[in-house]
Amino acid sequence: MAHVEVKLPELGNEVTEAQLDLWHKAVGDAVDEGEEIATITTPKVSMEIEAPASGTVIELRVEEDEIAPVGAVLAVIETS
Amino acid sequence: MPKSIPVDPTTTRQPGRLRGVDIPLHAYDVPLASELAARGATALIEAYRHMLILRAFESGIASLKTRGSYGDLTYAYKGPAHLSIGQEAAAVGAAMALHPSDHIYGSHRSHSEFLAKGLAAIGATGDNGLISIMEGHGALLRAVEAHLPGDDLRARAENFLALGFLAEIFMRTTGFNGGMGGSMHAFFPPFGAYPNNAIVGASAGIATGAALWMKREAREAIAVSMVGDGATGCGPVWEAMNFAGQGQFRSLWDAKGGLPVLFFFTNNFYAMGGQTSGETMAWDRLARIGAGLNAEAFHAETVDGTNPLAVAGAVTRQRAHLLAGRGPALLDVECYRSTGHSTTDVNAYRDKAELAAWAELDPLVTFPAALVEAGVLAPEAPGAMKAVVEARMQAVFRAAADPEISPPVDVAGDPTLIGRKMFSHRTTPPEALAPAPLVAPERTRRLRQIGKKSRAGRDEGGATLSPLKAITLRDGLFEAMLHHMLRDPRLMIYGEECRDWGGAFGVTGGLAELFPHDRVFNAPISEAAIVATAIGAAIEGARPVVELMYADFIGRAGDEIFNQMAKWQAMSDGALSLPMVLRCSVGSKYGAQHSQDWTALTAHMPGLKVVYPATPYDAKGLMSEAITLDDPVVFFESQRLYDRVELFEAEVPAEAYRIEFGAPALRRAGSDVTILTIGPSLYPALEAADTLAADGVEAEVIDARTLVPFDYAPVIASLEKTGRLLVVSEACERGSFAMTLAGNLTRFAFGHLKAPPRVLGSPNWIVPGADMEESYFPQVGDILDAVRIDLMGAPDHRRAGVRNWDDQALARAGL
Repeated sequence: MAHVEVKLPELGNEVTEAQLDLWHKAVGDAVDEGEEIATITTPKVSMEIEAPASGTVIELRVEEDEIAPVGAVLAVIETS
Repeated sequence: MPKSIPVDPTTTRQPGRLRGVDIPLHAYDVPLASELAARGATALIEAYRHMLILRAFESGIASLKTRGSYGDLTYAYKGPAHLSIGQEAAAVGAAMALHPSDHIYGSHRSHSEFLAKGLAAIGATGDNGLISIMEGHGALLRAVEAHLPGDDLRARAENFLALGFLAEIFMRTTGFNGGMGGSMHAFFPPFGAYPNNAIVGASAGIATGAALWMKREAREAIAVSMVGDGATGCGPVWEAMNFAGQGQFRSLWDAKGGLPVLFFFTNNFYAMGGQTSGETMAWDRLARIGAGLNAEAFHAETVDGTNPLAVAGAVTRQRAHLLAGRGPALLDVECYRSTGHSTTDVNAYRDKAELAAWAELDPLVTFPAALVEAGVLAPEAPGAMKAVVEARMQAVFRAAADPEISPPVDVAGDPTLIGRKMFSHRTTPPEALAPAPLVAPERTRRLRQIGKKSRAGRDEGGATLSPLKAITLRDGLFEAMLHHMLRDPRLMIYGEECRDWGGAFGVTGGLAELFPHDRVFNAPISEAAIVATAIGAAIEGARPVVELMYADFIGRAGDEIFNQMAKWQAMSDGALSLPMVLRCSVGSKYGAQHSQDWTALTAHMPGLKVVYPATPYDAKGLMSEAITLDDPVVFFESQRLYDRVELFEAEVPAEAYRIEFGAPALRRAGSDVTILTIGPSLYPALEAADTLAADGVEAEVIDARTLVPFDYAPVIASLEKTGRLLVVSEACERGSFAMTLAGNLTRFAFGHLKAPPRVLGSPNWIVPGADMEESYFPQVGDILDAVRIDLMGAPDHRRAGVRNWDDQALARAGL
């Protein structure tokens, strides 16, 4: 059992923040490593955030439509 | 969007050998008796008669150029004469195999190809069709009826063809292109003879674009690029061939199959005076280049271009490949130009033995001899036919030269006549509905995301919203394109990464979810081909919206933009419209070759409408206008402005709207100085205006929005108040459009001016790297300095910007 943070990744040159467009998972949902967990949007593109580990989502720290800085923790997964 | 074509290392890394297919050389071996049985005597005799017409036509022009007379006509023809004497069999052979619905796109040496296509089309068109075509050119038809009536409708139609063409060469109003095209640009679409082109190889890309649209429309027709062997030295021809052979037409498009384009190289062994095989080209045989293009070598063949039947057979085979979806195809048609490149060419590069050897193969000698030997023609028939044709052509020449029958263009009586042909200013609504998108637009990520955004750029408290929360200039462009894509089946969007990637700057992101590959596709890194194919497709009825990733790449498509896109509407006397939009994003932070504002280059070129919006509202409305107009538009987009939200209008409407080109927009009212801005310069100008206001100087800020057309009246009205003009642009000052604006306004508003107008652009050196950019593009401080020092006359003002230099000294140093 470990806690793995899902972070907003580096999005390239000059992109400092992104909007959390859609959560594909809710607290309590099981996720597999590599599974799409959220859709985020920068001014230029929309992209999917993948779960870095398999386990259970125990926390969503950013709400839909909220803007988060690059590196921010979006969610926490408890590995099984 | 899932990736469609995996790059699998286990496949790509398999050892093996590439093997080419055999390319036939002069493989024609059909006995004349078989041709006679298959085609009938009449077709063979017609082929000879058509070649006689071509020869007489070209000989007449040669005679005018060299002797000043032809028959009993004396006429000083001043224009070009790139004659195709000796190449008639190639032209007639191709035309025999083509259908009226097939379109040829020619070269500077295409008189024969034009006439042959027209003669073949006349032979294949019914009486009512011919009458209707001729009535489309009423003045020409009346001249033919009065002076060259012929014995029957066919003869009249042939005289119509020859007179319409020759009057065009003589640049008369009754010419097929109203005298606006001339020898190297003449064409007549009703017979499937599309533009000839004075730029070597230019038709390759345009014909490829024509084929692109023919494929989209699933027409039972092909496009033919008719250029010479010398054109294989031109980069854009290679771009065109690669574009035509793109794998996606067979792998990703729903209607699978290669483009129906035939690259028909009339190989006369010389490119002006340079010898192609052996001297100026890498290939030994032109057809070999097919092997470098795709696994089928484009079905390449080298064909005997001195025999019309060999050429007809080869074109028939290639046409079948193309209609079966196995395109593109390539033919190397070897023939010999027995006269010079032009009439000033003294043949210094060819020896007499070579000329004599090819004279024996002259199709006007060999073909009638073969017909006589086969008993198709009586021995005296060729000579008699020649006499009849020559007499007829002499009558055509007399009629074309006679100003009463073929009136010259009256530019003295109507000085802006030619100018009015540059643009149609028309719009042509679609006749059909667009196919339904692949999914409901509101279900796509892009639309969901846009749907959550504020249409206004400020919140209720007046604070500027994040580009994540409000419609941006990028979104405005996207919405305009999407609106028209959903409603107009003629729209086609392509560029180097505009599909899954959504354009390098995300403008077209989301379209790939909505539209199949035949409406939105990734193009190769071939700027020349991107623009040329858009031109060809537009000529054939499409409305392409194509993208150059950076405006700096305009150079890669220079001929296509400056000579082709800009000119065909006028050179066709308005018969063609080019409803295309060329999007050019203007970069930043990427240094000298990725950050240049080249608006002046395009605005300089007559025939292009040029737009450079600075706000989301304008971007959407101007893009909608650009797409709707029938005229060609170059649409500049600043990468620094893609994230801008709307600060001037209350909101960017969700529904579509159009902003008429030409009207500059007042962004800030003021009474002391007028700052006219181009593109992104608007924003530093507004900041500078705020600072000036604190000093009690009220600046009026006007955003040019469009450069061509441009209405000076609002700026003149502003200068009546202020008497001081600063024009700000990010282009290098020298030769910039800001200079044009300032020069014209000095003249138009001289009586109101209190100070000489000032242009503030970028200095005349390279755009430096990101960290130095602020020293280069005009900043707030530079604008303040220009206003305070140059316009308000405060020389001891402490400079806020970096431009503390002597412009005259720089000019002396070439800067």
